Parts: sequence; structure tokens; C-alpha cells
Amino acid sequence: MGKLMRWLGRTFGDKTKRCPEEEHCLELVRLMLDDESTQEDNDYVLKHIDGCYQCYDNYDVERAIREVVQKKGKNVKLPVEVVTEIRQKIEVAK
Amino acid sequence: MEEEQSTKPDRQKTELFEREFMPHLEALYNFAFKLTFNEDDAKDLLQDTSMKAYRFIHSFAQGTNAKAWLFRIMKNSFINDYRKKSKAPGMVDYQEVEAYYDSGKGTSPRDITVDLRAETVRDKLGDEVTLALNSLTVDFRTVIILCDLEGFKYDEMAKILDIPIGTVRSRLHRARNMLKAKLAAYAAQMGYK
Ligand SMILES: [Zn+2]
Repeated sequence: MGKLMRWLGRTFGDKTKRCPEEEHCLELVRLMLDDESTQEDNDYVLKHIDGCYQCYDNYDVERAIREVVQKKGKNVKLPVEVVTEIRQKIEVAK
Repeated sequence: MEEEQSTKPDRQKTELFEREFMPHLEALYNFAFKLTFNEDDAKDLLQDTSMKAYRFIHSFAQGTNAKAWLFRIMKNSFINDYRKKSKAPGMVDYQEVEAYYDSGKGTSPRDITVDLRAETVRDKLGDEVTLALNSLTVDFRTVIILCDLEGFKYDEMAKILDIPIGTVRSRLHRARNMLKAKLAAYAAQMGYK
């Protein structure tokens, strides 16, 4: 029941009210997603976003952005001749 | 010790280069391309980096992170030789956003970002992602590339960029805020309000 109420609050609650911990939480969310956070940070974030619409929202957006950057920040293919040239230059430099 | 290593036979140096550095050439080329925005400059930067790596191979400690070592060389070469040449598209209009964040006002542009989660929006955001990333100044662009695209840890980024780990963290945080604002602006432009 408590969980459902928190979910409802998150989903339909007052989205204009700003969370005083938002900035701090966002920093920790990013550390968590970068795998640079402590267990303590993670515990705080997971507990907090479970009850805070705004920070949950931030967390969600952060994940979406990472996904899109990784997907669309596409790889350019290294031309084979560049590799050949590098090997040749090394031969000459010997 | 260094003296002894620097006189390594060429064959050994070449073998070491092939084994330790060659596997990272593609990642390096991508980094070069995202720094210079230009195929020819990227090729030149890769070749310079490779030659420096070969020349200073005696100072590479085997068993340490070769990819990070190479990225550091490339970053330094870029700053010293290429930075002046390359021009970042869209940089000018972006200064405003950056100034906004520097002023401390815009730490979380959530009002306009919500739609970024929708799959339809993300699928349409293709070139926009590249544009948004490219429009960041090189310092901010670099931390996103190193972290999100190349998967470096903060301590490795600190070594590559010659900055303290705390600076990596804060620079990345600001870069992410800017990227988010830029992407949100694109989403809004496309009608996802
Ligand atoms: Zn919150």
C-alpha cells in the first residue's frame, strides 16, 4: 500500500513542487550510473527516488540520454589504408 | 631502467606496439574525429599520436592501461597542434547555454527534458545527438566521450586530462547538464513539448 501511494504520488503528484535534494540527488544518480558511487550513495538514491517524483524523473531522463548517446554517438570506421600508413611510418622510423 | 628500455631492439618495440597499441587505433581514430570534426585532421592526429607512442614506447609501463596512455598522448597532441585549426560547429549559439549553467541557475532543466524518455523521440534524435555533443566546447565534449563512449573510469580520465578527479566529476556534471539542455531543446523544436 505504501509503495502504491508513493507510486501514485510520483506519477500524479504535484510536479511543480521542487525537491530540495534534487541537485544532490542528481549528482549521486550520475555517479551511480557511471559506476563511481559508494554503496551508501546507491542506498540513498534508490530510497529517495522511490518516493520523489522529481528525482525519479531525473534518473529516468539520465538513463535515456546515456542510451541515446551510446547508440547514436556512432563509430566511424578506421580506413584500412591509415593502419597501413602507420605501419609503414614505423618501419621508416626504426 | 629507462635507459635500458629505450635501447630495446626495434623488433621488440614493434611487437609491443602491435600488441598493446594496435587494438586501440579504431577507438583513437574515433576520438580524433570527435575532436577535430574532420576526416583528414583525424587521420593526421592519429598518425601523430601513433608516432609519438612509438617514439616514447619506453616510457609506457607494460601491464598498465595502454588505451588510457594513448588517449592522453592524443589529447595533448590535439591541444598543442590541432586546437587552433579545428572549428566547432554550433559553438557560438551554445555559449549562451553554457553561460546560463555557469551562472548556477540551470542545474536541472527538467521542465523540457521529460520527453527525452519517449522511444519515439529517441529514435528521431540521431544527428541531433551528434550536433548536441559537437556543440559542447572541447573540454566538456571530451569528458562525455571518454566516459560514455569509451567507458573510462574517473581516475583514468583524470590521468588522461591531467586534472584532479574532483574536476573530472564536476566537469562531467556540467557537461551532462548542457547536453541535456541541448537535447531537450531539440526535442522541443521537434514538437515534443
Ligand atoms: Zn528528490
